[in-house]
Order: sequence, then C-alpha cells, then structure tokens
Amino acid sequence: MTKPPANNHYDVIVIGAGHNGLVAAASLAKAGKRVLVVEQRQTIGGAASTEPVFPGYQVDTGARDAGLFLPEIAAELNLEARGLRWLESPVLVYAPQPDGRSLTLWRDTRRSVAEIAAFSQTDAERYPKFLQEVSHFTRVLKRMMTVTPPSLPDLHAGELLPWLPAALNLKRLGDQEMMEFMRVLAMPVADFLDEWFESDALKGAIAAGSVMGGFQGPRASGTTFTLLYHALQAEEGFRSSRFVQGGMGSLVLALAEAAQQSGAEICTGQAVAQIILDGGRAAGVRLAGGEQITARVVVSNAEPRRTFFDLVGAPNLEVAFVREVKNIRLHSSLARLSFGLKRLPDFRAAGQAAFQNASREQLCGHILICPEMDYLERAYDEAKYGGIPTQPVLDIVLPTLTDPGRAPAGEHLMSIDFYYAPYSLKDASWDERRGELIDIVLRSLEAYAPGIGDAILHSQVLTPLDLEHDYGLTRGDIYHGQMGLDQLLFMRPVAGYGRYRTPLEGLYLCGTGTHPGGGVTGASGYNAAREILRDIR
Amino acid sequence: MPSEYDAIVIGGGHNGLVTAAYLARAGKKTLLLERRHILGGSSVTEEIYPGFKFTVFSYVVSLFRPEIIRDLDLTRHGLMILPLESTLTPLPNGDYLYRGADHYETYRNVARFSQRDADIYEDYSRMMYFMAKAVKYVLGIVPPDPTSLNPAELNALLGMARHFLGLERDQFYTLVRLMTMSSADFLSRWFESEPLLGTLSASGIIGTFMGPRSPGTAYVLLHHYMGEIDGVFRAWGFSKGGTGGIADALASSGRALGVEIRTQAPVAQVIVKDGKAVGVALESGEELHARVVVSSLDPNQTFLKLIDPGILPDELTASLRRFVYRGSSGKVNLALDAAPDLACLPGPGAHLRGAISISPSIDYIERAYDDAKYGNLPQHPYIDAIIPSMIDPGMAPPGKHVMSCFVQYAPYQLREGNWDEKREAFGDIVVDTLAEYIPNLKDIILHRQVLTPLDIERTTGLSEGNIFQGELSLSQLFFLRPAPGVAKYTTPVGNYYQCGSAVHPGGGITGAPGKLAAQVILKDW
Repeated sequence: MTKPPANNHYDVIVIGAGHNGLVAAASLAKAGKRVLVVEQRQTIGGAASTEPVFPGYQVDTGARDAGLFLPEIAAELNLEARGLRWLESPVLVYAPQPDGRSLTLWRDTRRSVAEIAAFSQTDAERYPKFLQEVSHFTRVLKRMMTVTPPSLPDLHAGELLPWLPAALNLKRLGDQEMMEFMRVLAMPVADFLDEWFESDALKGAIAAGSVMGGFQGPRASGTTFTLLYHALQAEEGFRSSRFVQGGMGSLVLALAEAAQQSGAEICTGQAVAQIILDGGRAAGVRLAGGEQITARVVVSNAEPRRTFFDLVGAPNLEVAFVREVKNIRLHSSLARLSFGLKRLPDFRAAGQAAFQNASREQLCGHILICPEMDYLERAYDEAKYGGIPTQPVLDIVLPTLTDPGRAPAGEHLMSIDFYYAPYSLKDASWDERRGELIDIVLRSLEAYAPGIGDAILHSQVLTPLDLEHDYGLTRGDIYHGQMGLDQLLFMRPVAGYGRYRTPLEGLYLCGTGTHPGGGVTGASGYNAAREILRDIR
Repeated sequence: MPSEYDAIVIGGGHNGLVTAAYLARAGKKTLLLERRHILGGSSVTEEIYPGFKFTVFSYVVSLFRPEIIRDLDLTRHGLMILPLESTLTPLPNGDYLYRGADHYETYRNVARFSQRDADIYEDYSRMMYFMAKAVKYVLGIVPPDPTSLNPAELNALLGMARHFLGLERDQFYTLVRLMTMSSADFLSRWFESEPLLGTLSASGIIGTFMGPRSPGTAYVLLHHYMGEIDGVFRAWGFSKGGTGGIADALASSGRALGVEIRTQAPVAQVIVKDGKAVGVALESGEELHARVVVSSLDPNQTFLKLIDPGILPDELTASLRRFVYRGSSGKVNLALDAAPDLACLPGPGAHLRGAISISPSIDYIERAYDDAKYGNLPQHPYIDAIIPSMIDPGMAPPGKHVMSCFVQYAPYQLREGNWDEKREAFGDIVVDTLAEYIPNLKDIILHRQVLTPLDIERTTGLSEGNIFQGELSLSQLFFLRPAPGVAKYTTPVGNYYQCGSAVHPGGGITGAPGKLAAQVILKDW
C-alpha cells in the first residue's frame, strides 16, 4: 500500500490509520466523501497492529483485546462479512496464586461461582449480584459512548438532546441505584471491591483490569469508573474481552477494506510533516516528501499534543489553548513483552505437588499475576517515583491457544503487559534498562510457570519510550491522555473542545484522546465522522 | 406527657452549639447535652499541664462562617480571631521557604526556588479566591435530591445548575478540575518548585487518608480555601484562648439566647415512640423529653448507637456502615521551657507566629502516605506546627511556650500492634522529625501529649479518629453525605435531626452544618 496519494485534493484527509482513523475514514467514505488516509508507518493499525515481529509469528504490538469494540460499528461497517472473526475465550481471567492455588473466572458465571467458593463462600454468593450491579451501571455508561459531549458550561438544547436517552437510562435504574451509580463512579476501585468481597485473589483479579492504561493504583479515586469502562461490552462480566482471529491487524484490515470499498484511499509510509493552514483554517497537509494535498477537512487520529504542536505548530494557536494542550495529563502505564515460545508453558506452582496444572482452556483468556490489590498498589508505589517494579503485575495472553496460525507449528506466542512502567525512570534511561524487564518478568513467572525461561525462542520488549517513538503514543500513554475524571467528556482532550472540533476551523480530532477515550472502541472515530458530516454536509 | 423542652441537642461540639443557639434564637426552649466536662468537642482548649493551655485537637480556624459570627454576636461573647499570617517550610538542606503577609517578601522567597512560580503565585491566589467565592454558594444550601422529580427539588437542582453553568468558562473548568484531580496534579499545572508544591498540596490531604497524588485531594484543597475571616478569603487565624475560645463564645451566646447547657451528661439513647423521637435517656438513667432531638455526633453514633438501627431501612444501615471514616491524623502537643529555635531561621521572628510546615516536597508527603496506607507509621510524617503562645501569650506561663503539632499520616488501623503500644513511638517520630529542623527542641520539652487516632476517638467520640466525621471524598459529599436519603439533616426517625460535620458541607470549624440543620428544623417546625 506504500504509494503516494493519487490526487492532490480530497474532501477529507485522515492523519493516521489507527483503528479510529479507519473507522472515521470508512464512515465518511460511506457517506460519499472522498477520503484520503495517510499513515506514517508501513503497517496500518497504529497501536492496534499485528506485525511479523519474529519469523512465522503474528504479534500484536499494541492492543491485544478488542473486547471494547462497539458492536454497532462492526455491524454498520459489515466487518464480519469482511472476514472479521471474533474469538471468545470461555475464560476471562486465570489468576494463579503464590500459594499454588488458582482462581479462574469464566465467562459462565456459574462456573466462576464454583471457583470463587474455594476462596470464599460469601464472595461466591455475592459475585452474581456484583456482576448484575456492574451490568446495570454499564448499561447507562454504554449510551454515552456514541454521543458527543455537550460544550459545557454553554448550554445548547441541541447538544443536550442526544444525552436524553442516557439520562433516562440513569433514571430507569431507580432512585437507589442511581444514587449508588453516582457514589461509586468516583470511588477507588479498592474501596468498591472491599465493599463487595473479602478474597484477596478475587479482588486482585478484578482490580488489575480496571487500572489498565492508567498510571494509578487501585486506591485512586475514579478507578471504579475505569473498572466499569472496561466492562462496558461484557455481557455478564467485569471485563470486556474478545480476541480477533489473526490478531488485531485483522480487525484493522477489515476496517480498511470497509473504507476502501466505499472509495477511501489509504497510503502507508507517508508521514505528514505539517497541517497546512489557510487564513486560520486547516486546508490540507504537507507530506514529509514535500507534497501538498488539500482538503475541505483534516482529521487527526494522532495524539492531541502531536497534532497541535508537531503538525499545526504552537505559534498558530492561542496561548491559552496551547497551555491547555501542554497540560493534558499523559502518563505511560505499561511495557509490552512478546515472547516466541518453543512449547506451551506449564502454569503450576513450584513445589506444590498436589496442584493440578492449568488446563489449556484455563490459559486461553487473560492470565493475571496479581494476587491481591496491595500487590497492584505496591507495583504502582515503585513506579510513581520512577522505578521499575520488582514485583510487577503481569497480564498475559497466549493467543496461539485459540489461534494456532499465529506462530509456527508447535510454537506459542506469549504477550505480556507489564504494570507499571513509568515514562521517566529516575536513575537511567529505558534504553539502558530495557533488558531488566525480561529478567524481572522471568523471575516473577518462574514461580507460576517453572521452566518458562528455557522455552523462549524470541523476545521483543516495548518500553514506554518505544511506544512513544514507534507508535506515536506521547509519553507512552496508550490512551492519548489519562482517563481520569478530570479528562473525560467535555474536558477531553481539552476543556471546552470535547466535540471533536478544534480552535482551527476544518481541523478535527478522532483519536482515543477524545471522548469517550481509551481502548479499541472505534467510538472516537465514529463520533468524529458524525460531527464532520454535520459540518460539511 | 408534655415535653420539657422544644429541642435537645446531643453533643457540645461547635456545630451542636451553633444549632442550639440558632434554635434558641428562634424562641425554642433548647437543652444541649455534652458528655465531657467541657464544651467544644474537638475545638477545646485544655490546661493539660499547669499553666500550659493546649489547643488539644483542632488548632486553627478559617472556615468559620462569618454570618454565624454576626447572627450570634460572637464577638461580643469574646470571640477574637488573631491572624496567622505566615507559613514557613524548613527544608532538609537547611534552606527554607517563607510565605508571609508581606507580598514582596513572599515573592522574593518563592522566586529563590522558581522565578516562574513567584510570577504566577499571585494569579494562583486570585484564582483560588474566586473559586472559593464561586463555591461559597454551596456552603449555604441544603443538598437537593437528584433522584427526586418533586418540583421543589428540581427547582433547587436547576438553581444549582444555573449557578455553576453561569460561571465563566475558565472558572467552570477549574471547578471541574478541583472536584476531580489530585492536589499534586492540580498544583503542577501552576507551579514547579518542590517546597511550594509540597506545602500547598498538604492542604489537600488534611484529615484525609489519601496522598497528594490521589485524585479527589484537589477538592480537599479547595475545601481549605473556603475559609474567610471577616470576609477575607483563605485567611487562617488562631482563636484567642485557643479553639476552645470558639466553643466558649458560642456557649456564652447560646446561654444568653436561652440555651440550657449540661455537661457531663452523656446520652445513652434517643427515645423513639411510634417512629418519632420524643427525648433522650442519659447514661445516668434520667429521661428528658423534647419535641425535637438533634445529634451533632457522627453517623456511627447518631444512627447505629443512639437509636436501634433495626428501625432503619436495611439499605440505609448498609450505606451507613459503608461510610468511610479512616482516621489519618494524630496530634502532638508540647509544653516548652523556651522558644523553639529553627536551624534555618535562628532566633525570634515573625515566622514563629505562623505555621511551620514539614512538607519539603510532594514526594515527601506521598511517601509518608505510602507507609501509612499499609498500616505502618511513617518515619517522616507531614507535620503542621504552630506555637499558640507566640500569638496569644496567655496560652503559656511567661517565657514558656506551647506547640501544637498536627501529624499525618497516623493510620487508625495499624498493621502490627496497637496504638496503646505505639503511642510513644509515634510521639518520638514526631519530635525527632521536628528536631531535625528545630535543634533545641528536645532540650526544651517539659511535657508532651501524644494523641493517636484512637485517642481522638476515645476522647471526642469521632469514629476512627476522623477529624471530619467521615472522609471528605467525592463519594461522601453533598447529597451523598453521610448517605443517600439522609443528606438533608433529617433522619428516617421523625423529629430526629443531624447537625454535625458528617452532613453537608462537612468538616472543619465552619459551623455551616449546624446552621443549615437549624434552618431545616425551624422550617419543619
């Protein structure tokens, strides 16, 4: 796909072929606009790419789980007809414990209850009620995904109207649940889970997913909101989880196909050097090669700080706005390790003869090393002062169990999210300390999957610095801006600019830095396209 | 049986006294009952050692509502707030940050650490002043119920929406940030120098078991900016005679208005008949009857001890049991043989009449929190010390001094051991930490009173030693304080009301819950 654009004028230029850029492109093209997507890298997908990192392997270098992808977008763009295959693992989380036991949380609640009972009978009884409450709340939040935030404090009836169904959903919860919803949103997930459960293993397994992408421990206010956010598409669960056959790249390819079939043009290996301004209006882009392409509208899938500082240029913006962009809270949260393994690791605790090895079935969801919430908090403690946690939380996926085609026969792909990895290390640079990550991970895993070190054929480490450098994730922030309560809705990405528009006419944002935020949801691209069509119809 | 009183107020803390005075002022025959021998609750001055008067618990004022001072004529009843004009932050390297009443001196001091911080300091103060003014409105309203569709509630909600949406854009966004961010993140939008960030962020953690990097602490920061003295926002003061002076003035005003006050009269139970409170039974067995009973105690006592929780709806009892107290602070009061001498600023000086804040950086405070959150005693705690005798010489014998040290964090729940065993170790940590900056301290200590969260709970009745009668976290504010359905000063028991810090607008010596409760009671009358 590496070729220069065919024309020099389009209706819309989308900068960046991340999943949101492609959703925006597909929606706009479908509406009859002439769309060009320019992607700096050779592969499309941005932080949702699948790449042949090791020979014969299809490695997700960014997101691995598409559980949050909005089903309505998949349906609208006919992705399943384009070869998209969802893989739903029967297990959500398998959490081996230091004492040799393990807790498996299945998609089937009844099976989970039986597992939880081994840790706590009370918790087992409460678990279904917990899931029920979570699903009541996510039903309200789900509505907000595809609605554009109103530009508070200014009030326009037209902007508020789309929020009516969400408000009604909230009201429909009933008075008591509605109050409960407002109460829990701002709570630390640690307090929320303490109210429900007593088992450390259960609380650790649930809490770990809720801080994903955030540089916050479970005792931080607002982490209950992120728990609910990550559960948005879960039918009956605390975490939305759905893999894609062939890796995330297949989802992205299906999106690209949808865009192209509607006439959008996608050019990879073409970096945008600058957004061209004409009288304070975005008029097109200048590519790194010097070529200028004009358009009625430019949409940036890039992180806002990059968009405004690198592509627009701060001198072209008002000082107050520049200050706000500078103040967007960006934090890295994780590092990614990928291993090519010559055999499937044995998950069992060393020295626990009576312990049964984990079944293949148990291993095909997320394997979580997070035996308690304090373990998570302590990992954050080390990271917040610029250290690398010596006891990291690990969120591991073995995609080859359900999708053997992603590695050579008999071999396995293991993908590990390492929490927490601060962007700035206190004493050294990431390039100096990169190798330590593998040592720390192997030391931690040895206790749960003995002998894993000998199985490694290939390895790749992506530090927050790599995520920034290779994937345009400024400061390694996978969400283009932390999902704290202060950076949501009309505050996202910048206060007063929550409607995908920017101070420059003709320039829009469609990345994960906009409402509703992180994860492979497609919502930002989908909403941005709707707003653009409203303006240039 | 006819009631002997119109109203009985349980608890002689400052809020109870405010409610009682307002009720008497409206002509109600009011009785106030206090368990201890002195009035004030947490705002007491006690002569623990002969000649040395300690502001035992609460030690500074700022948040007290000026309209209450006017309404109850407290100045005539002896209330006198002396300004506390400066904050000194001594640093481990021997340097210091001094911020005082003299604008240029403060500017020069801040500029020594960062010119940019000095330049923006005034803007920041002005911004917080306006934010406090914008939020002041909320201090004066009874929280509306957002779930209700009743026209009065909707109207109140609309009024509130109008107020906030009517703010200027920048103020509106700043308010959203104050409600959601951590004090560290919020302040980092403005400042860069460690001592200034550390000291300002400390206002965000007072009384709260969160670190400066925990979201939600920016609200606590704002809460502490809402104070005004004589209409001057964010001024801190010291009550002449200690914080007990406030209780004394309130009691005197109350008595003048007709309040009958009985100390050493612990209440065992609120007497409920047919779903209505009709009086109280004292621990002595004596029964007193009234048309209305008001509790200024925290929800643990108001709902779960003074009445039979069995008569409450199950959901409410469950909510109240979930209410987070989590005491986070302790207090060390020292009687000193001479004036403390700071290494960074030796000798006497205006800095001794202000606050001395051991808060060299955000990380310093955050690390103290890290220790405490796992139930350990921090070796290097945040300390806010004042020397009341420097401001009001009557607090100590001539030439001698008292020093009041607020210490955080002191976790109520210890991982190992108990507070009775750890009390002196805690006192040692505080003295050792202070002695690093005040070299003569250990030589001049005559007496030391160490108050752990457990001691605070035992003496004042504050559950888990939480000075705000419940954490000021987002999920425990406004219509959620202390629980949905009981945030309007009422309770499910007829004629039984709440007026303490556990109801909106929360803790600190504000008098606001007391006044709002009186308003609600009188409206219902």
